[in-house]
Amino acid sequence: MSTIPRVSSAIAGEPAHFGSVLAHQPEIAARFFELYGAFWGSDVLAARIKEVARMRNARVTECGFCRNVRFDKALGEGLVEEVVDDITDGYETSDKLTETEKAVLKFTDALIHDPELLNGDARTALQQHLTPQQIAELGLGVSLFLALAKALITMGLEPEQMDRTVLPTPAVLEAAE
Amino acid sequence: MSGPIHASLAATNGALAEKYAAFVAASEGALSPELVALVRQAVAAVHGMGEGPDESALDEATRTALAYARRMPFEHTAISDDEAAAVTHHLGEPGFVAFSVVTALADAECRAAQVDLPELSGV
Repeated sequence: MSTIPRVSSAIAGEPAHFGSVLAHQPEIAARFFELYGAFWGSDVLAARIKEVARMRNARVTECGFCRNVRFDKALGEGLVEEVVDDITDGYETSDKLTETEKAVLKFTDALIHDPELLNGDARTALQQHLTPQQIAELGLGVSLFLALAKALITMGLEPEQMDRTVLPTPAVLEAAE
Repeated sequence: MSGPIHASLAATNGALAEKYAAFVAASEGALSPELVALVRQAVAAVHGMGEGPDESALDEATRTALAYARRMPFEHTAISDDEAAAVTHHLGEPGFVAFSVVTALADAECRAAQVDLPELSGV
């Protein structure tokens, strides 16, 4: 895995990072940030649930950038580090994660790793804990987390070193609406 | 548009479905329709979802891109700087950015289909 950018920044004076590299394709960038802002802005599924799935994806896909970022909205909903620490192999036995979060993690593993993991019981549990609308939103989120992590890694945008960083939760900008 | 992610959203959240469709359209619109179709077919084949494309009549640039695309589903961390440089040489930097997004989305779409996301979403 390379930590040397494979694409230059398209924004003068800025180093290569996801935003400055995506700026090579302004239309893609605009549509992505609209979508991502709307996804995080939707209250159909709690931000904490979305962040649990995002953290799992970060660990499985080995995305160091994703792994070190925390979104503030989920933090405000109680996703503290003691809980995040349990989003690792063996999460099924955690006493800090809720049963809903464990069902979400199983779905996340199935989508990003092995579809066989979503067997009868796991499928039933997911549908017991989430509505169809919530599952659709979760499916979008996990798909975006996965795709973006892979795009970021393969474009060489992994940081060599990065501290844990709390960022404002993505939102749709008023001007973009 | 088609695909499991959009289908599940269309049934439950029209606004997000529209925004997802716009993102995919912008990404795929930055590449030739022929390359997009080939990438989707090549990635689906890696997932065991149909035959891979017949590459016998394709030019070197396209074959290089498809070889790269086939690595995305299970070997994304093993892709080398040289492999990435070869694709960038053919597509240019903006093209490589779009190609990276399109390939990663193609992989995610296959995975969403394999867990039957639409069925889970009540479609």
